[in-house]
Amino acid sequence: MSKMMARPTRTGLTKALVFIGLILGALFAGLPVLWMFASSFKSNTEIFAYPPRLVDSSFSFTAYTTVLGDPQQRRFFFNSYLISGLVTLFTLIVGTLAGYSFSRYDFKFKRFLNLVIIGVQSVPPITLMIPYFGLIVWLQLYNSYGALILTYMVFTLPYAIIMMTGYFNTLPRELDEAVMIDGGSSFVVLWKILVPISLPGIVSVGVYTFMLAWNEFLFALTLTKTNDMRTVPIGIQLLMGQHSFEWNQMLAMSVLGSLPVLILFLVSQRYFIAGMAAGSIKG
Amino acid sequence: MKKWLVGILMIAILLISGNVMMAQDPITLEFAQWWEPELPAGEFRALMDAFEAQNPGIKVELVSGPYSTTKDQIVAGAATGTMSDVVGLDGAWVSDFVKQGALASLTDLMGAVSYDASELAAQIQLNGATYMIPVVNFIYPVFVNLDLLAAAGIENPPATRSEFVDAATKLTDAANNVYGWVLPLSMEQPNGIQNDVMSWVWATGGSMMKDGMPNLVDNADVSSAMEFIKGMYDAGVIAPGAFSMREQDKVEEFTNGRVGMMVDSLAHINLIRERNPELKFAITALPAADGYEGPRGLPYASWGIGVAENSEHKAEAWKLVEFLMSAETNSKLSSIANAFPGNVKATPDFVQTDELFAAAFDVFQKGFLANEFVGLPVAENLMREFDEPFQLYLDGGMELSEFLSAAQDAWTGHF
Amino acid sequence: MAKISISNETQNLTWQRMKRQAVPFAYLSPTLLLLAVLSFIPIATVVYYSLMNNVIITKDPPSFVGLDNYVKILSDKNFFNALGNTLFFAIASVIAHFVLGLLFAMLLNSKVVGPVTKSLFRVIYILPWVFTASIIAVLWRLLLYPNGVVNYFMLGAGFSTEPIEWLSSRQLALPTVTFINIWSGYPFYMVSFLAGLQGISEDLYEAGKIDGASGIQLFRFITLPQLKPVIISLAMLDFIWTTHQFTLIWMTTGGGPVRATEMLSTFTYKLAFTSYEFSLASTTAMLILALSLFVGVFYVRNQRSANE
Repeated sequence: MSKMMARPTRTGLTKALVFIGLILGALFAGLPVLWMFASSFKSNTEIFAYPPRLVDSSFSFTAYTTVLGDPQQRRFFFNSYLISGLVTLFTLIVGTLAGYSFSRYDFKFKRFLNLVIIGVQSVPPITLMIPYFGLIVWLQLYNSYGALILTYMVFTLPYAIIMMTGYFNTLPRELDEAVMIDGGSSFVVLWKILVPISLPGIVSVGVYTFMLAWNEFLFALTLTKTNDMRTVPIGIQLLMGQHSFEWNQMLAMSVLGSLPVLILFLVSQRYFIAGMAAGSIKG
Repeated sequence: MKKWLVGILMIAILLISGNVMMAQDPITLEFAQWWEPELPAGEFRALMDAFEAQNPGIKVELVSGPYSTTKDQIVAGAATGTMSDVVGLDGAWVSDFVKQGALASLTDLMGAVSYDASELAAQIQLNGATYMIPVVNFIYPVFVNLDLLAAAGIENPPATRSEFVDAATKLTDAANNVYGWVLPLSMEQPNGIQNDVMSWVWATGGSMMKDGMPNLVDNADVSSAMEFIKGMYDAGVIAPGAFSMREQDKVEEFTNGRVGMMVDSLAHINLIRERNPELKFAITALPAADGYEGPRGLPYASWGIGVAENSEHKAEAWKLVEFLMSAETNSKLSSIANAFPGNVKATPDFVQTDELFAAAFDVFQKGFLANEFVGLPVAENLMREFDEPFQLYLDGGMELSEFLSAAQDAWTGHF
Repeated sequence: MAKISISNETQNLTWQRMKRQAVPFAYLSPTLLLLAVLSFIPIATVVYYSLMNNVIITKDPPSFVGLDNYVKILSDKNFFNALGNTLFFAIASVIAHFVLGLLFAMLLNSKVVGPVTKSLFRVIYILPWVFTASIIAVLWRLLLYPNGVVNYFMLGAGFSTEPIEWLSSRQLALPTVTFINIWSGYPFYMVSFLAGLQGISEDLYEAGKIDGASGIQLFRFITLPQLKPVIISLAMLDFIWTTHQFTLIWMTTGGGPVRATEMLSTFTYKLAFTSYEFSLASTTAMLILALSLFVGVFYVRNQRSANE
């Protein structure tokens, strides 16, 4: 679009078109979410009322106070924060180390390992459920944070490695050599030089990893047993009863659940946008 | 340096996971069920506390999950040896778990303590042994919206199929978005086949089985019920969206006053009152075919209970079952769950105090519990395999005979 | 680091070579350990199941049946119905994700919009991405309900005379679930493209303009080729992920009406958890894996050429 700015006569038209496009897109993306937000303040009956209204007489914060007032639900939020946070941290550390290796070294089986790491995400999770569950029990990790953290890392690492490899590839090797000549080890190169420069890329991978871990349901349910180990998506599912759903609480909970992700995105936007660029272009 | 870091991470993960492995002195029974989240907060735990007080040395740990995934979790638990000692069951699952060898014979456990089973309203048996006991039952009568009925000029709730069709037709006012009946046929939760479709066959004393085998083809009871539903579908008196509707959606339609009648679980009485206090409604038995005078089969769903075959504490597990089935506990559980008790001597207090439940209890006593899917192999799959050609039949893609033989063929393969 | 003995020079050299060889593996070791334990064992188990009979839900011992399960699945017309639906669902999703993602990224990248406005729009555009699949299913069921708000507007605006059964009609259900998946998945592309656009040098456009290129030509000959590595990577990843999509389908239609939205994922789930045919479910899993790997090979090739 920017290239059309050359001719001033067309600028006004371009601007109008861009704004119309932006608003239409925002309606497409935002209206369903706005409806969710509005419905979370309605009574369960009013959610199904016809004709539907965005805001009605049943408006109240009950759903939110119920969710936030329940210690079990708060525990779900705590668990989700803890697990997603740790998964993000560990994925970044392990993924950075692996990305460094793929980017800076030539070694036997490199292509093969690359293929394998990419291939790991090609297996439909649902079919792995039972054998995977058996393995977690055998490892004595059943019903622990460790089980979920390690599991999510299996899903997030391939993506993180691809991105980090691509990002490191954009940084010139002369940087490394300068440090090596001064007697620094390869780890010093990584930690003191590459990591600080590629911080934007690391943040972008981190946000995506956090989102994957925050929203996962199937394994979170299967690999845990007690409610003190469970996460927000299960809390939402628990509101879907055998005979009836607590619609407004479900919606309120997902609105609350989306806030940290949105805040994280807002805060890291500057990094995210720039970071994705270098990583994905080469990745 | 890097190895240090990784080492620390691994230790951290192990420490976090370590807390599960702590040894406990008293025997701990795990009780996996979906009931706790369905009941008012804390009520079910209070019952367990009462059990623990009566049985020092036994602790009960409730493992609660969402209903929709309970069955999958039990399958996965049985496959990996992590199944809880005591499990909540639905009648539709029993046969498969028995086949898997996951459930212990309750007949043996009862025999070991010479339990007097005469108070049990029902036992679900396979190959001559009991594997599940229904703790409480939710029957499925017809709910009618009294205001809509009055507005349509109908004085009494329908008692026969032709009265039902007549009422549904009069109630339907598509321009104002009101329909006579609502039919949930979701493929995700195909239990509408059991509660809202096959129930018409049972209410007239019919059966979908013969000598333990599916009997859908050339079965007058089945065909007439299917034609009855098809007639209403074609007449446009069934609320739209049937093919993806679930039980939880059905009740919202009724609560909002958009359908005049629905076949539904008693569990919904309080929910409807709470969500729409102004709605006037009544309960009546499922209408039978015209001229049928015999007792009416009532579809029902149970919260059943079973004991895991791999449990190390079967005797203690049985104590918990016995506790839940005792007249006193069973009355209490029925009261908080708004269900009918699984112990014949138990009387939930709402039967005396609540007019609607009293009416339902009357329906319950005049009829008999009928749910032929209980105890059948891959029961949920059977419902789905019936649902598919049934949707085609309603939609005009299949003739009645094609539909019934397609369903029968699919079913026969599992027996 | 470790102290090196200087007394034996040859030994020292060998040691150093070995060390150099070992370093990349040391950096990879946590990844390899994790994937080896948590990925290969379960995958190998699924392969094993697919060649056996009587696994998991049975008291009988498993028996080896060779490729019988594969023959059984590949002669099941329902499998091909599910495969066809999955391909439609995945390909339509990938194309629409790409088009919407690129369009929105270009709009958000436009210089005529101020940074604060951009920031606001960026957050709105990202919204469909931040919810878990079961809630997306619940939300869209509410919206598309016969008495839902979408039908209310369709009726009100005169597009239809009776409520449209978006999810309950055999004709509309598949396009509808595809649409929901498109809605919930495009931000992944959008964010990546946004980043990609940031990375294209202004000089390229300036040079293009000097050569008299039109806006469309600039887009076609500069923007698209510059984004190509991102496009291919995203499309391949997205195709694989969409093929695995289960929760969204299951919780909106359950694969129905009839089999209109049956996907490979729901087909496999039903085999495993309602028919208890774990061998057959594992076989289907292997076929899905083969399909994904087929696409994955293109992906890896592209990765390689992009890196070189």
